[in-house]
Amino acid sequence: MIQVRELSKSFDDSKRGAKLAVDRVSFEVREGEVFGLLGPNGAGKTTTLRLLATLLKPSSGTAELNGFDINRDPARVRARIGFLSGDMGLYARLTPREILDFFGKLNGMDAPVRLERMNELMTLFDMHSFADVRTDRLSTGMKQKTAIARTMLHDPPILILDEPTSGLDVPTARTIESAIVNARRAGKSILYSTHVMEEAEYLCDRIAVISDGHLKMTGTMEQLREATGKHRLREIFLDLLGYPPDQ
Amino acid sequence: MRLPIIHAIYRKEMLDLLRDRRTLISMLVVPLLVFPLLFQVITRVMERMEQRSETEAKSMGIAVRVSTPSLRDALEKTGLQISAKDDLKSAVENKVVAAAVEEVPGTPPEIRIYVDSSNPTSSAAADKIRTVLTELRDRRIRESLRASAIDESVLTPFTIQRTNVAGERKMAGSIWGTMLGYILLLLMFTGGMYPVIDMTAGEKERKTLEAFLASPAGRQEIVMGKTLAAMTAIFLTAALTLASLVYSLKGTRMGGRSEQLQRVMGPIPLDAGSVALIAATLIPMTIFAASLMFAIALFARSFKEGQSYLTPLALVVIFPALLGGLPGLELTPTLCLIPIFNASMVIRAILRGDLSMINFAIALAANLVYAGIAFFIATRQFDKESILFRT
Repeated sequence: MIQVRELSKSFDDSKRGAKLAVDRVSFEVREGEVFGLLGPNGAGKTTTLRLLATLLKPSSGTAELNGFDINRDPARVRARIGFLSGDMGLYARLTPREILDFFGKLNGMDAPVRLERMNELMTLFDMHSFADVRTDRLSTGMKQKTAIARTMLHDPPILILDEPTSGLDVPTARTIESAIVNARRAGKSILYSTHVMEEAEYLCDRIAVISDGHLKMTGTMEQLREATGKHRLREIFLDLLGYPPDQ
Repeated sequence: MRLPIIHAIYRKEMLDLLRDRRTLISMLVVPLLVFPLLFQVITRVMERMEQRSETEAKSMGIAVRVSTPSLRDALEKTGLQISAKDDLKSAVENKVVAAAVEEVPGTPPEIRIYVDSSNPTSSAAADKIRTVLTELRDRRIRESLRASAIDESVLTPFTIQRTNVAGERKMAGSIWGTMLGYILLLLMFTGGMYPVIDMTAGEKERKTLEAFLASPAGRQEIVMGKTLAAMTAIFLTAALTLASLVYSLKGTRMGGRSEQLQRVMGPIPLDAGSVALIAATLIPMTIFAASLMFAIALFARSFKEGQSYLTPLALVVIFPALLGGLPGLELTPTLCLIPIFNASMVIRAILRGDLSMINFAIALAANLVYAGIAFFIATRQFDKESILFRT
């Protein structure tokens, strides 16, 4: 479970002065829930995810992930999350098997457990054919499968995914979406950021729209529809950001 | 800090480094090939130049203006073609002949050799002329003495014998000590540069750092694992370059043509004890170099930027490392506190066999403190989001 309370983050910029990237954001992601964080570029999505992954320290406010505070217990928080950054972050000179093995060790998994879990995920994401090929020789889809497998390797109760299907073809995106659905079924809390409205509409139990560091609205699709009077998520999103409706 | 995590990071960094062509070239190929190739090329070029000078001197010949027949006979023994020229000086200057000899009458007569010392061919010809003339002069002196029934021993009323109390080991240590410490220390900073940039700025550039930082590995554990990998790369580069340099120096005529120098440079005073002491000196320096470069390279956003930050560091290292190898400077407890310089001086003293254990202990302790400070700074830098996520 993720509980975010009044979380803020400002960055010092020598040219432009202090910039408030995230401004008193509060939300909750329950167990067995996919929570979508939507917003235009520069809205504060990635900063929020980085704060929860303890990569950045909040300027004020806090969050608890499975009962551990990001300010007081960052190491314990990191042991309970699977974090997928927007850039995938794969070691180009290592193979998917080596990458998974490395992250398994970092997560303190013993060799038999690690190898069994690696095998399980490689089967799930159909990775066996490229498991021993250097990552810089893989397609975008293969790389993203590797990145997702790395995120889920230690079976964390919380998944933080920054645009996991960005740039993927339809079959690979569907594989990833299925994995997210299965993780929800397994009771995991999934915080998910995307630009693909159809995907968010289909996958997310609840959605928050963020703009200029502020949360504009949080709710289920039904709640968002009621509040805005719009039907499709794309229309709701544009309405909340103050854009005129599509012609 | 958890050892299994540090070990996993170390292994991953080493695997990553050994698969990087750029790092492999700087870490293995350059040290193993550059010195042997360089020295081979220089030796070949020198031999070629010598041969060419001899051949050219023979074909160009020498101009001679002497009236004494024995002098002309002696000059013919040089094997160089002899000719006559009006203006001897300009004949040599204009490379019409390799050298020239003129007998100026007087008591005693003066034999002038005209040589263009900037031209190896002319120098080679002049050397030959000088040799035959010196032999002739010595023979004349002995003949005169015999004719006057005077013993040849009058020429040497006493002999001068210079006895070097330093011994071969100390002499070799003195010569090797001036360069080994400097080379080793410089290599530690230049050899580790690529690996350190790759695992700091390179990782930022490839955007692999976020996933790593979001793992349960602590920041100190990450810095420790990476620093150990950098230290391995530094040690490997330094050891390979040193071995290659020593092999090249011994295998070629780069010691110069002086037999004395060859004899002194021959035995490298590296026994097991010396190697252990040098290794003990270099370990804190390796931590210091790796951590310092790590802290600096972390500021960079790209590999290229990292290079421009670290290249000046190598220049900063050259000065104290070179100074520490200079003969005449003696290591004192105060000098033992100057980083890099102290290591260079300690290595020189180890090689000469006159290391004071007190100075060694002070230098070692000082360098351990500097290494600790550098590691602490590197860890602190690695904790700053303004540096890690600098865009």
